[in-house]
Amino acid sequence: MSFIDVQNIKHSFNSLNVLNDISLRIKEGEFVSVIGPSGCGKTTLLKILGGLLPPSHGNITIKDSSLDIAIKRRDFGFVFQNPVLLPWRTVLQNIELPLEIIGDQTPFAESEKLLELLGLKGFGKYYPKALSGGMKQRVAIARALVFNPDILLMDEPFGALDELTRERLNLELLKIWEQTHKTIIFITHSISEAVFLSNRVIVLSERPAKIDEIKEIDLPFPRTIAVKQSKEYFQYITWLRNKLKKS
Amino acid sequence: MATQQIKKIINWFSPIISFFLIVGVWEFLVRAFSVPQYLLPTPSAIAVDFSNSIGSLLFHAGVTFWEAFLGFLIANVLGILTAVAFVHSKTLEKSLYPFAIALKTTPIVAMAPLLILWFGNGIFSKVAAAALISFFPSIVNTVKGLKNVDIEALDLFKSISANKWHIFSKLRFPTALPYIFSALKISTSLAIVGAIVGEFVGANKGIGFVILISSYHLEIVKMFSAIIAAALIGIIFFWVVSFIEKRIIFWTDTED
Repeated sequence: MSFIDVQNIKHSFNSLNVLNDISLRIKEGEFVSVIGPSGCGKTTLLKILGGLLPPSHGNITIKDSSLDIAIKRRDFGFVFQNPVLLPWRTVLQNIELPLEIIGDQTPFAESEKLLELLGLKGFGKYYPKALSGGMKQRVAIARALVFNPDILLMDEPFGALDELTRERLNLELLKIWEQTHKTIIFITHSISEAVFLSNRVIVLSERPAKIDEIKEIDLPFPRTIAVKQSKEYFQYITWLRNKLKKS
Repeated sequence: MATQQIKKIINWFSPIISFFLIVGVWEFLVRAFSVPQYLLPTPSAIAVDFSNSIGSLLFHAGVTFWEAFLGFLIANVLGILTAVAFVHSKTLEKSLYPFAIALKTTPIVAMAPLLILWFGNGIFSKVAAAALISFFPSIVNTVKGLKNVDIEALDLFKSISANKWHIFSKLRFPTALPYIFSALKISTSLAIVGAIVGEFVGANKGIGFVILISSYHLEIVKMFSAIIAAALIGIIFFWVVSFIEKRIIFWTDTED
């Protein structure tokens, strides 16, 4: 049994074919990145995986149940390209938004712990407009984690951040992943980010996208900045870059 | 710091200075060219009349304000509710929106006599006129605001299987609030226009009534006093709504 089982997903908007027969199995606790040429349908794939968009064709099972049940079970925590924080809510209120909707009265200490985990300690009472881009995205991640979903779906979450902030958040995401054992599906434009973070990297082809390659990244965990100096790391990047060029 | 304070003082005083300048030039020109009182009175004559008849002006302005305020309330409550219905039902929006537009394009002056016929000479016809004229901006702005929701924010709510009420109360309505307040601000002056138009057609009190009577009697000074009173209630009404807006909507950067 696989944790996430994607079978023959096809999707088209009107007559435009976006996804062409995508099948994929993801194990529990895996960190999988998806890369591909821009506009190839990565975001569409993620939305379909998270049940936000019904696919034109194909089937997805999560822990042996249908997508509908998985959504009701709140299996998915989404992190979008933009942090989408509600400006009239403080950091803490934004993080706790899913709890209000779910109606789950998780004790307050839980969110405090989350603030600490994401380096937001002391910022709970701030409003989003006082935060930097990196801080806002941290809040978005905390909000995705607060109701303890099994799966994190992340759509280029660090795409708009500067290089240094991105590097720091990559390290922190790995730390969070190691602590919480979430299954993470991570969409990115950056080959190096995908290699650095993932167990496996999925390369999509041009639209209509199909899976071009699934590459195991056999670098040791826990990964630190030092990994970025290793020969293997560069070899993976070069290999993936060549793959993307050809497709 | 010091220069900033000076700037602040200048900002504060410049409209006052220009006010006195304009009034001064007006006074001078009217006296210099001996413009007859019944065409354009001097500001000083208006000021004297205004302070002498302040009691009666307050009464009539109060009447007009009350009519405008009731119309404003009715229009905005109905407008917001209709907008909420529109956003949740495309069919309803499509079938009723043309009527809202028709209502908007019909001049209130054209409908005022009918309103007097239906609602009588008293306050209700003016309330109706004020409500009619304020209804459209309220509904249009609220619909715009409720629809101005970020798609990713909607996805976020859907991903945790939020229901319609959650999406409305925690996302749509707060997103629409700045739009609703701009409708409320537009409505303040419109409602006063509506009330005064209603008074023109048939009334025995209110600022519109005073303006009409003083025009019959060619009491232009009195007319100016009434116009100033009408402007003042408009300004105060607008200012109160803006004040409440600033208290409630703290998250947007509005320009001063």
